[in-house]
Amino acid sequence: MTILVSRLVQALVVALLVGAATFAMMRSLPGDAAWRIAAGRYGYDNVNAAAAEAVRAELGLDGPWLGAFLQWMGDLFRLDFGVSLVSGQPVIAEIGHQLGASLWLALAAVGLSLVIGPPLGILAGLRPGSLFDRTLLVVSTALKAVPQFLMALILILVLSVQLGWLPAAGYGQPRHFILPAFALALGLAAVNARIARDAMAGVVAMPFYDFAQWKGLSRAQVLWRHGLRNVSVPLLTYLGLQFVLLVEGVVVIESIVGWPGIGHALVHAVFARDVPMVQGTALMLGLGFVMVNALIDLLAARIDPRGAR
Amino acid sequence: MTAISLPRALPAGRTLGAAILAIVAVFALLGPVFVPGDPFAQSLMKSLAGPEPAAPFGYDHLGRSLWHRLAHALRLSPLIALAAVATAGAAGLVLGTLAALRGGWTERALVVLADALLALPGLLLVLIVLAIMPGTATGFWAGLSLVLWVEFFRLTRATARATLASPAAQAGRLLGFGWPYIFRTHLWPEIAPLMLTAAAFGTATAIMGIAALGFVSVGMRAPTPELGLMMVELLPYWREAPMALLTPVLATFALLLGLTLLAGGHRT
Amino acid sequence: MTLLSATDITVRDGAARLVAPVSLELHPGEPLVILGETGSGKSLLAQAIMGTLPASLRATGTVRIGGCTLLAEDRAAFRGLWGRQIAVLPQEPWLSLDPLMRAGPQVAEAHRLVAGLPAAAARNRAAEELAALGLDTAAARYPHELSGGMAQRVAIAAARAGGASLVIADEPTKGLDAARRDDVAALLLAALTRSGGLLVITHDLALARRIGGRLMVLRDGAVVETGATSAVLSAPQAAYTRDLIAADPESWSRRVAPSEAGQAVLEARNLTLSRGGQRLVDGLTLELRAGRILGITGPSGCGKSSLGDALLGLLTPERGHITRARGLAPTAFQKLWQDPVAAFPRTRRLGQTLRDVARLHAAPPERIGGLLERLRLDSALLSRRPAAVSGGELQRLALLRAMLANPRFIFADEPTSRLDPITQREVIGLLADLARTDGLAIALVSHDPVLIDRVCDETCSLPMKRGEHDTLECSDLLRTAIG
Repeated sequence: MTILVSRLVQALVVALLVGAATFAMMRSLPGDAAWRIAAGRYGYDNVNAAAAEAVRAELGLDGPWLGAFLQWMGDLFRLDFGVSLVSGQPVIAEIGHQLGASLWLALAAVGLSLVIGPPLGILAGLRPGSLFDRTLLVVSTALKAVPQFLMALILILVLSVQLGWLPAAGYGQPRHFILPAFALALGLAAVNARIARDAMAGVVAMPFYDFAQWKGLSRAQVLWRHGLRNVSVPLLTYLGLQFVLLVEGVVVIESIVGWPGIGHALVHAVFARDVPMVQGTALMLGLGFVMVNALIDLLAARIDPRGAR
Repeated sequence: MTAISLPRALPAGRTLGAAILAIVAVFALLGPVFVPGDPFAQSLMKSLAGPEPAAPFGYDHLGRSLWHRLAHALRLSPLIALAAVATAGAAGLVLGTLAALRGGWTERALVVLADALLALPGLLLVLIVLAIMPGTATGFWAGLSLVLWVEFFRLTRATARATLASPAAQAGRLLGFGWPYIFRTHLWPEIAPLMLTAAAFGTATAIMGIAALGFVSVGMRAPTPELGLMMVELLPYWREAPMALLTPVLATFALLLGLTLLAGGHRT
Repeated sequence: MTLLSATDITVRDGAARLVAPVSLELHPGEPLVILGETGSGKSLLAQAIMGTLPASLRATGTVRIGGCTLLAEDRAAFRGLWGRQIAVLPQEPWLSLDPLMRAGPQVAEAHRLVAGLPAAAARNRAAEELAALGLDTAAARYPHELSGGMAQRVAIAAARAGGASLVIADEPTKGLDAARRDDVAALLLAALTRSGGLLVITHDLALARRIGGRLMVLRDGAVVETGATSAVLSAPQAAYTRDLIAADPESWSRRVAPSEAGQAVLEARNLTLSRGGQRLVDGLTLELRAGRILGITGPSGCGKSSLGDALLGLLTPERGHITRARGLAPTAFQKLWQDPVAAFPRTRRLGQTLRDVARLHAAPPERIGGLLERLRLDSALLSRRPAAVSGGELQRLALLRAMLANPRFIFADEPTSRLDPITQREVIGLLADLARTDGLAIALVSHDPVLIDRVCDETCSLPMKRGEHDTLECSDLLRTAIG
């Protein structure tokens, strides 16, 4: 219960922060912003001073800021995100379109990273200091030092430009997933593997792990019945935190490979100063983090009844 | 008691990291001193030309010397990153200690704020701040500071809480020592190594962020030499001049690898 | 017939020999106790016999169990014995149960996977055994919901579920109070009656006395003395065994209280303390006088440390008053901790820490030298860091540090519970001397009622919290249940 309350508070503060940041962004739009927004909405040929003035009034770009701020936050908490300044479509509808594409990419990346990282990490953690452990440390350190955009760049150069195996960009077919999902997953897996390794090494060093073997269970039985369960909790908690890293990666990777998702839209919105879109997407991502972590909290509490975490 | 052994760092990994960073720094600072030149001077005649004494790394698509552009880029983002880490580190240290010492509402408010910031992708915050602040470099500095202080705050607060509750700090108070002494002898020795690790990671995060946003064309603007921007500019010429593209790629990797090794652990 | 015989067991760490060739035999129905202080090699010897030594150490010698003969260096061969021939009892039962699994399945899995019972039968068997141990409700609980004593019984059931007839217990009473210690002894003896073998490794004379059988005293990896336990303990032959027995609080002479009571240093009236929403101390009244030692006892978790924090002004009482004598500096109230290593700044040299304290209290630097001599400490220790000094020496340095602040009252929170008996006697002796010569008021917390009885002028015993009554006194019931 307390878990959910604290997550709820977190969600509220996230909304407040996003609201304040986007309000500040709105107020600091350069002088011709209204004109540009109007141009974006009605086309350059149809813009006149009246249309720009209408936009200015609609957005409350002048006038006392406190009243405008309260109005802004009021709209936010009524979940009224307004319309995109660029397309004129409701922000909710735009995000609805893009969210699916991003979710699939994110899920593919997380799934892939979980297949690669934790098994290797657990294997290394079972024998800390072994050759395999040290090799994994070197590889994961090197992988961690490669930012996701650079990973995407390298994969594009090798797999699509040089070898021609995969399309460099595009969306719609399963093979379009492979490159961006790998670009995201390798970095995540490098860190997953370290977390799993440290957790496993910690569990192996615990007295209960020895005692389970002294009871007569085989190594495999002990790992299966006592090892994995205890490793899963820190790993899960970490996955929740990794969500932010994943989202950042999605934003960048989508922009690189032209993936029609929320990250791509966000970068465009920032570029075009489409503040309502920025607000909508930022809120969506922030609340997504809170929701994922609330679910993970509940799951972890089920596995680990000790609470007090 | 069973000691949990978690060998975190590569043996000699930190030394290796520091050595890599030293090489990168020497190049960035002294490269243009040894081979004088202008990172902005164009000469379309030399577009994508190979190395020559005046431009040891060759030329980019606009005929600008890659040696000088790279040296410039390797000063720019690390400088912004270090400034942001210094600001964030100081803020995190002060606020974290304050939260642990005062407790109550001060602590609760700071924790709630930090948790909310944690939920927002750092790059997104940086992008928004960039849209608000007038200059790109100052925008990056402010945005990255805003993102990075949370980690320092959390580390400091957790360590300070544990240390202040320890028998050693309690003994210090019973013996009549003041807070400055307790901070100096009990807190700082525990916090300092964590701060070094966090600072190395923070610097790497900041450099990655600047490069990533440059790469998707929403960060530094041309013609500023910046690592991500250089890569995206040279990407179309991969077939003609692979080395031109690899130069910023390898430099970025070296910089980030050096920082990761120097950190000698991983984020918790 | 011997159940187990170990011949010429040695343990080496590189070139250093930690256990000299030691041989021992275990007969059915006759327990064997290996007694020794920390660092005597007693646990290493046991681990070599069980095949559980850390990988960095090397063992030689032969072990015969049941029908088979094993070489001590061939650790893999011992695996097959665990659970089936030898039941290994862990040192800290609480940490030895999987925190994420209920107690029942942790016993049942050994019945199923080791003894080969079908799942349902294994579950029933586990439930029966736990019920027989007085743990009807424990099967569905997680380890953190069990008390230390309950966890110990679950661990015993789990260790023996595989059908092992030989029980090896390494320090089974570590950190337990006297009542629990007797409980454990009863459980171990109950395990012995039918199935035969029991090997107990301990530093605890009282446990050795209760287990009986044969005794082997170990020091620096070599056997000092062997014989029937009762005979060795009543008439020790070796000088070391005599010292060991003399250091046991049972053999201490009672301290003579100072004839006239000093003036009151601290008074607590109707003290009520809570921590984390739990009522710990209810309406306690006590008085501390110069030169007197007040003993504080009670089971773990009953609020002894919280009482100390309140007396020292670190915890605000929920109700009641604490009055300090007029004219005393706030720093006249000092404390000794159970774990002295944690009570010093980790990275600072001890001499530096002590000089800081001396400077703060305007004590001349010679004062440190004088106190070093009084507390029989070597000044070479001052150049070391806390972790590089033995527990006994560090606890005396902590006492020295407190003395630099000119205390009138010292709250000593289990100051010797992690020390060996001989060192314990020395530290407690110094503390009592200080009370007498310097007129200190001392509150001494210990879980050992005998120690409190020998040293203290008055005793304050804190009651157990509600809901913690789990110590089974009915050892007869246990004996029949397990056997």
